[in-house]
Amino acid sequence: MSEAYAHDTALVTEGSTSYDRLVDGAIALSIVAFATTLLALVELVPLGTAGATLGNYFLTLFVAVSGGVGLTAGASWANVVSVTSQRVRGVAGGLLVATGGLTAVAYLTTVTLATLLGFVLIGQALIIGGAGISSRLDIIDTEPDASAGLLAGGAFAVIGAAIGGALGGTVIGFDSIAWLVFPIVVGVGLAVLTIVPREDLGSTIPVGLVVGTLGVVVATAAIGVGWQWNPETLDGGFTGGVVIPLFAAFGALISAWAAAKCRAGFGAPGREYGAFLIINLNALLMVVTMVSIVLFVLTRGATYATRGLTTSALTLLVLLVPLLALATEFARSRVGGGEWNRTVRLVTQIAPLATLGAVAAVITTVLITGNPIEYGFNYQILQNRNLIPRETAITITPNPEVGAVILAVVASVMWIALFRNYGSLRNVGAAFPRAESVRQLVPVAVAGMAALIGGVLLVGPTPAGVPLGSVVGVGVVAAGTLAAVGLAALPVAGVATTNGSIADRTQASAPLFTLGVFGGLAVLTAALLLQPVTGHTPGIAGVDLVAVGALFATLACGLAAGVSAYARRTTTETLQDRLLGEETILGLTGAAGFIALLGLHVLATGSGFTVLGVSVTTEGTLSWPMILQPYIPLGAEPGGIMPAVVGTVWLVIGATLFAVPLGIGAAVFLTEYAEQGRFTAVVEIATNALWSTPSIVFGLFGAAFIIPRLGGNESLLAGMLVLGFMLLPLVLITSRESIKAVPDEYRDASAALGVSQWETIKSVVLPAAMPGVITGGILGIGRIAGETAPLILVLGSTLNATESVNVLQGFQFVAEPPFIINDQLLAASASLPTQVWAVIAAGVSGSPQMGWASAAILLSVVLTFYAIGITARTYFRRKLNYE
Amino acid sequence: MLHQVWVDVQHTLFGTDEAEGSRLAVGASAGMLLATIGAFLFAPAAALPALAGFVIITTIGWVTYQGAIARLLTLLATVLTVLTVFLITVFLFVSALPAFTEHGSGLLLLPAESGEPRWFFWLEAVLPTAETFWNPLSGAYSLIPAIWATVIVTFIAGAVAIPLGLFGALFIAEVADDRLREIIKPGVEVLAGIPSIVYGFIGFAVLNSFIQGSFLDDGASFLIAGIVVGIMALPTIVSVGEDALSSVPDAMGDGAVAMGATEWQKMKSISIPAAFSGISAAVILGLGRAIGETMAVAAIMAAGVGFADPLFDVFDASATLTSLIAVNYGSASESTLDVLFVAGVMLFVIVAGMSIVSQYIERQMKQKLKGQS
Repeated sequence: MSEAYAHDTALVTEGSTSYDRLVDGAIALSIVAFATTLLALVELVPLGTAGATLGNYFLTLFVAVSGGVGLTAGASWANVVSVTSQRVRGVAGGLLVATGGLTAVAYLTTVTLATLLGFVLIGQALIIGGAGISSRLDIIDTEPDASAGLLAGGAFAVIGAAIGGALGGTVIGFDSIAWLVFPIVVGVGLAVLTIVPREDLGSTIPVGLVVGTLGVVVATAAIGVGWQWNPETLDGGFTGGVVIPLFAAFGALISAWAAAKCRAGFGAPGREYGAFLIINLNALLMVVTMVSIVLFVLTRGATYATRGLTTSALTLLVLLVPLLALATEFARSRVGGGEWNRTVRLVTQIAPLATLGAVAAVITTVLITGNPIEYGFNYQILQNRNLIPRETAITITPNPEVGAVILAVVASVMWIALFRNYGSLRNVGAAFPRAESVRQLVPVAVAGMAALIGGVLLVGPTPAGVPLGSVVGVGVVAAGTLAAVGLAALPVAGVATTNGSIADRTQASAPLFTLGVFGGLAVLTAALLLQPVTGHTPGIAGVDLVAVGALFATLACGLAAGVSAYARRTTTETLQDRLLGEETILGLTGAAGFIALLGLHVLATGSGFTVLGVSVTTEGTLSWPMILQPYIPLGAEPGGIMPAVVGTVWLVIGATLFAVPLGIGAAVFLTEYAEQGRFTAVVEIATNALWSTPSIVFGLFGAAFIIPRLGGNESLLAGMLVLGFMLLPLVLITSRESIKAVPDEYRDASAALGVSQWETIKSVVLPAAMPGVITGGILGIGRIAGETAPLILVLGSTLNATESVNVLQGFQFVAEPPFIINDQLLAASASLPTQVWAVIAAGVSGSPQMGWASAAILLSVVLTFYAIGITARTYFRRKLNYE
Repeated sequence: MLHQVWVDVQHTLFGTDEAEGSRLAVGASAGMLLATIGAFLFAPAAALPALAGFVIITTIGWVTYQGAIARLLTLLATVLTVLTVFLITVFLFVSALPAFTEHGSGLLLLPAESGEPRWFFWLEAVLPTAETFWNPLSGAYSLIPAIWATVIVTFIAGAVAIPLGLFGALFIAEVADDRLREIIKPGVEVLAGIPSIVYGFIGFAVLNSFIQGSFLDDGASFLIAGIVVGIMALPTIVSVGEDALSSVPDAMGDGAVAMGATEWQKMKSISIPAAFSGISAAVILGLGRAIGETMAVAAIMAAGVGFADPLFDVFDASATLTSLIAVNYGSASESTLDVLFVAGVMLFVIVAGMSIVSQYIERQMKQKLKGQS
């Protein structure tokens, strides 16, 4: 093992010397200075700040650093993370000292930030120069090479030339030829100083000189805050506000590099530490840039986008249900590695569930006490080109109401999630002879109702005087509802009537669970579909029968779930425990399904449903003006951008329907059927090239080729097709990659069993490749959802649209070709990206607040697609790796 | 000869399935499809019934000979995809042709005004001049200023994105541990996902006032547009560069470390040289993205078309090839449209060419590394 490695281990075990601490401090100071200059560049902390204001800034920084270091230290103590490196500990300590010291200096003196940065640079230069000299004099133990190397020499030649050039320009001006002497002399001088001496001097003295010069220039205000350089030949110029931060940032970077070399004792380890520090700082810079762009847009748009957001407490509770389910799932899974502290792991595991529980409790309080929660704030609207502030609030009202759409969607999602979790209860429990005949009746009943629907639709409600629609239909609906309730009550009835311990009784009723839940859901769904066809809503005393039936069925299923959950607590047998768990899930599945049907019923009939003061309403209980309202011209309130939201939704749907089947189909043919040769290679290159083609080119194509063939107007359909063309290459590329990644062993094994090629593709290759295809598709959709350039050409850009497209109701059947027309698809529409562009294009008459809010919503939509895609990929990858 | 073609067609259509019924199903389905296309082209009235016939026959085929029909459908998808690619390419060139024939090389080399070539154009371009190069009303068309603007913006973007991107790629591929990589890599993807119009809006709403304060400029400039486009091209360089660095076989680097080299020495002397061609492919792709960037540039530099004066003045502003199309298309006359198509074709050719070159480089690198591991 080389000496470098021995040195490295020694660092970990031994305590660090005061030299190490000093150099660590220099590194930390560089990092602090670098961060501060970035903030100064975007004028979050102006360079002229001094005294208490500056002190407050550094105090905030100090507190933030203490928090970060403290939390990490705590996590290290709890074995959550392991921080053993002396260097990291040293830099962390240095950060504390540096920020603390700067805070003190800022409070005690009256220097401005610019001057302070200058002095920091001078201090850095002294520390680094001193470290280099003490290393050369063998005061400290280092292992330098003979020279700092040509690469560093070249870099310092360039830096020197730049400094010399600036110096010469200041002294004698840029016009005379003699100016050239300065950059050449300084550049060559620094290069020689870097290359000729031993590495410890060669990589510290030039740094000290450069950083020192920059520090002196800034500290003496030779380039001060008010400094300007405005050359006549150029349109613009430079001010101290830009130059000082750039100088300080550059000085901080190279002094961090040099200090890191000193810290690791020069030589190969020194160069490694220096390079790694720069690479790490760069990565940090990238992450900070990304996070700040996203946060900036979201915060700027937040007030306008959330103005007037009002929702009922019950709606929020319903929306919380899927989140609670997710949190429960997370609490069941194990987090962290084996070395995690037990308590920490437990806390991490249950934290989301506990938080959501707390939120749910607060919302429930609103419901019970009747006091709304309000958060009031101001936003600005544009009126006659003036920004006028207005008051608004986010409110949670205590109405015990929930919208039917929200209820149906949430319940359906829960139904799907629970159904996927449900395994099977086949061959479990006792045989009930009568249940068997009921099981055979259910499909017959459903088929009968389906036939009735078809009949009424085909021949009308009263064929030959028979009241097929009204009397017969309504009767069947009522009978179906009663039957569904009866079926849903079967599990509980089964448990109640059999003998034995509660666990045994519940297990024995397993066939009734499956029959009750699935049969009940099927029958009630059929009845629900039949109901609008008949044109009548059967009800007793003004209360809809189907709704009441769905409610009772929900209660019955919930009760069944509760009974089996209770029974599960009493059993100790592993197998029985699992079976009862399945029954609980099945009961919950039924409850979710019946609630979804209840919501759909309210939606279909258009009349609300109230029981015990709790209502399911057709009118939305969620009021979100920005998203759910179109623009209101000349109104007191500006309304929102619903047409744009609807337009983007349709664009994404259309593009996906066009591109995904085509892309996957082509990928299957190219990978599985076609011979891999020149043709597939050409197609691959062409699709890759198409993928990187500028989006505006697609727009040109759409505007000149598609639009004339679709009636000559900018239209939604043209937008869908153009975005579909853009999505197609990505779907094709990702699908091909994931199909190729399926190991050939799979195909061989399938073929060896005598399975045909298509069967193999369908049941072996595609399922294995699906995760990759889905992830790629979602990421691609996220990208096209934010695409603007082609839409400007093919969709038009309208500011403040007042009507949204209504594609579903736009379909019309006509007697002549092409038989189906949809004028909504052929009409122009708004969309989120073009909405933002319209604000820009409108110049002063566009409301900047509206622009920020639209951009924030667009960004959230796109990032949601990305988050889903990336999460899905991580999930599938983990599953592949660990199972 | 004809027989060979027929055999090939049969092979493509039917694969190796020799069953009589499957041939019938596929043949009927394909024939119906051809009939539909024919009807669509020559007798649109019959297109929909023909389509319905195709759907019915295909459905029947799906039930009886699923494998063969599935194969036909995937073939159909492939043909449609290839046709789309082909159509876009051909149509762009065809649309650009009128402008080429009318203005000749004037668009790209020597602009003409009212039919008269401006012989001293290049002299005017270098010397300060107040001439216009883009004025559809007086018939002055020249793409040269837009090309020059694209060059400047791309150059600045490259200066920002290439060093940062390469360091970023090194960080993800070599320095970061697995847990950190799991966070940073998606982060870079998200950065790539931020819509360009959002960058454009930030530039439009915030950066302009910042520029006036800090750069003494009266509005947006190449410098700001270039920096923003650089940030947008960054993720491409990072992720493609990271792919290239990761595809260097571990064995190569392990050998170096086993000999006592530090991680940085391994990176500098093994990983980077081995992945060099891949990294240059990343740079090419990133620059391609920068060239094709539209909305951010259009939103930041809402200026007319003109040369920077002097040519290297990064504080000047002009429309680039992309923003020229985006801003002018809506209000363009017939002959202006043709010129915009020339700009589109140029973009298409340049960027697609860069993509093909980088693919070629990557493929070469993969082959080379395959031989070594």
